[in-house]
Amino acid sequence: MGSVYLLTLRQLFGRWRLVIMTVLAAMPVLVAALTLRSTSAPTVREFEAIVFSGMLAGSIAPLVVLAIATAAFANEIEDKTLANLTLSPIARWRIVVPKLLAAITIAGPFMAVSALVTSHLAFLGDVRATVAVTVSILVGVALYSSAFVWLGLVTTQAIGFGLLYIVLWEGFFSGFVSGVRMLSIRHYAIAWMHGLDQRRFAAGEHLSLGAVIVTSTIVFGGFLLLAIRRLRRMDVP
Amino acid sequence: MTAGTVFDIGYQRYTGPREGRARARLAVFKDGVRTALGLGRGARAKVLPWGFIGILVSVGLIMAMIAGAASRIVGAANVEQLNLPSHSDLYGITSIILFVFAAVVAPELLCRDRREGVIHLYLVRPLTGSDYIVARWAAFMVVMVAATWLPQFGLLVGLAMGAPAPVDYLREHWLDIPKFLAAGVAMAAYTTTLALLTASFTTRRAYASVFLVGLFVITTPFTTGLASEIGGTAGQWISMFNLTNIPVHVNDLIFGEVSEITEHAPAGAFSGAVLVSWYLAWTLVPGAVLWWRYRRLAP
Amino acid sequence: MTRHQTPVIRVDGVSRWFGSVVAVSDVTFEIRPGITGLLGPNGAGKTTLLRMMTGLAAVSHGTVTVFGEPARDNPPLYRRIGVMSEHETVYGFMRGREFVRMMGRLRGVADLDAAVDKAIGLVDLADAQHRPMGTYSRGMRQRMRLAATLVHDPEILILDEPLNGADPRQRVHFQRLLRQLAEEGRTIVLSSHILEEVEQVADTVLLIINGKLAASGGFRAIRAALNERPYHVRVICDEPRRLAAAVVTLGSVDAVNVDPDGAIVVLSRNVRDLQIELPRLAQAASISLRRVEPLDDSLESVFGYLVER
Repeated sequence: MGSVYLLTLRQLFGRWRLVIMTVLAAMPVLVAALTLRSTSAPTVREFEAIVFSGMLAGSIAPLVVLAIATAAFANEIEDKTLANLTLSPIARWRIVVPKLLAAITIAGPFMAVSALVTSHLAFLGDVRATVAVTVSILVGVALYSSAFVWLGLVTTQAIGFGLLYIVLWEGFFSGFVSGVRMLSIRHYAIAWMHGLDQRRFAAGEHLSLGAVIVTSTIVFGGFLLLAIRRLRRMDVP
Repeated sequence: MTAGTVFDIGYQRYTGPREGRARARLAVFKDGVRTALGLGRGARAKVLPWGFIGILVSVGLIMAMIAGAASRIVGAANVEQLNLPSHSDLYGITSIILFVFAAVVAPELLCRDRREGVIHLYLVRPLTGSDYIVARWAAFMVVMVAATWLPQFGLLVGLAMGAPAPVDYLREHWLDIPKFLAAGVAMAAYTTTLALLTASFTTRRAYASVFLVGLFVITTPFTTGLASEIGGTAGQWISMFNLTNIPVHVNDLIFGEVSEITEHAPAGAFSGAVLVSWYLAWTLVPGAVLWWRYRRLAP
Repeated sequence: MTRHQTPVIRVDGVSRWFGSVVAVSDVTFEIRPGITGLLGPNGAGKTTLLRMMTGLAAVSHGTVTVFGEPARDNPPLYRRIGVMSEHETVYGFMRGREFVRMMGRLRGVADLDAAVDKAIGLVDLADAQHRPMGTYSRGMRQRMRLAATLVHDPEILILDEPLNGADPRQRVHFQRLLRQLAEEGRTIVLSSHILEEVEQVADTVLLIINGKLAASGGFRAIRAALNERPYHVRVICDEPRRLAAAVVTLGSVDAVNVDPDGAIVVLSRNVRDLQIELPRLAQAASISLRRVEPLDDSLESVFGYLVER
């Protein structure tokens, strides 16, 4: 398993990718820093809505994870090197799990640091709020990774469908149809934020903390199991 | 000592007419359109492009239905006062869908050829690098224009049918047509050029798509947040960097009214000349860079 | 020289279709220790068949068993099989030795460094092993991939077009290596579309055309069958009947047909002599030859003939 993990880390690493991720992770931090300096601070609600729900959870985290997690398998399938791994006498889950962990290892720290610094600045050092944001962003990264690793295994058009999901389902439609929130990873992350720190992030209905913990576990485990099943049944190029 | 013999095993030289560069360009163009729409490549390739177009047209039709329902409820005379979203707002509303569509489909036109090395096969023909990119640009432009115009026509037809007297409606509102056609072209040109330029920088389609969407989706809240923070002229200029709004401002100018999406954008305060020049800068400069990148390619 | 031992790989009534395209159609055979060549024109279904034998692809119908176990969904089996696919892509950023080492570790090799040294030694790449594979030539890449296939000392080797792009020296080295491995009791299956390559190495040959098994058995027997069949050569000249009358007297010619359109078709089992004798004959008779073309010079038609029998 370690070999697959290290291999995937090397495959997903790339100078340009790191630079772009650093830039993306820095953006919310910048906004928070600039907000502090300005005299007319927005209400906390507005800030939360724009920066956390909109930027971090809404666009930066899912997009970054999309690029990285789909690549975990999609690159190997495209380059036709996946057979190197599947032709080993190891259980299929020992191939999927390290790939998933590698994706989380790369995307996680960037997003976590971004969330940590941004919330620390925005909430003026309030520990609870900072922990709430950081933990929920990490949960979001884990959930998106699981879903997108599966997606990369299932179709060559993973990016297209992933973008459709992020921009249209989570972005566009959830603005109009509130039921979509029950099936949206972004809203699970926001529910975590609210669940961990009840004072903030209350924007509309949320799942309760207990419910969202259960849902998150099911979603994470579900996509992982689907990915393992898919690897067993597919024709490996 | 042994006499050598050469057997003519049937190789025949082609003696028919040979067409030139124009034909080559046309071929690249046609292939571009087919690739973008997934034609001739089985059902799976058609899902995404036609799905997007379906969603776009649906948005137009749904808007028409809402307008029809509203006019039924409040009466045709009062509908104007409600200021429902209409042709001028459609591009603002669907802009993100159009950008995602371009982000997903445009890389198919350029990235594959460079990754597989097929571009060199193209360049060995009587086709220069600039011929190739112009043909590809034209192909995607055609597809984007269709994607921008179709929902507007859907909306138009829906509104006309919903009105008590469709012919009268058309006669009154016929000016909308050239306006949305022009705004559509502006939208399409901007999106096409930026999408293709991004695709020209990488050989993996996936990265091009995500980068493009990231560019649009992330700059929006970022610039909105900052602009409202800083305010004043600086804030206006920051708002100008909201990439999703650049063509929508042009759309507003063409229609003469501010659409819902750009209502609160500080950049709207700038004069028409500034907005149009900004738009042209963001369309022509990327276009020039794109052209230059491909021009210097040799087989 | 095939030893009569228990079959190692059993393919029974196997078919595979993709939608409406049938890639492999009702193929049944057994593979025993030694070197078996899987031969056939491009697109005949060799790769699909090999992928089904290695469990990489599912069968649409039929069964594939290796060492008596199903090939599909059976990871422990890969300890005993080494597979080299037709795709030449490698991890460009990895050094050769690292790659072989990783493959060895994935396949559970015990004494890793020794095994890696041995495998790299077999393919003679010891001096290049510390360079990234992105810098290798095509032949080196193929050899390093072969080393990765051998590192865990598998009993079965399945190689899909392993000599793609190999230069003559590499070819000789490779054939020698295969012979050595086979003599150690391994089962080797080798696929190719080039008759001569397989001829020099394989004991048994399986011919696949259009997804069907066209012939199987000892190579020499098949070659002899090919020699029995006359070639058809079409000749267009300005005086067909006169030429036909003269050609029939040649020793290398079996028969001559005259087509309604004025061409003659010469049946001959000795095309080499025909090539020399025909122009001389034409010149002596003052007949100009406009075109001489073999009608069935492709591997496919040759095998087609075999299928018809």
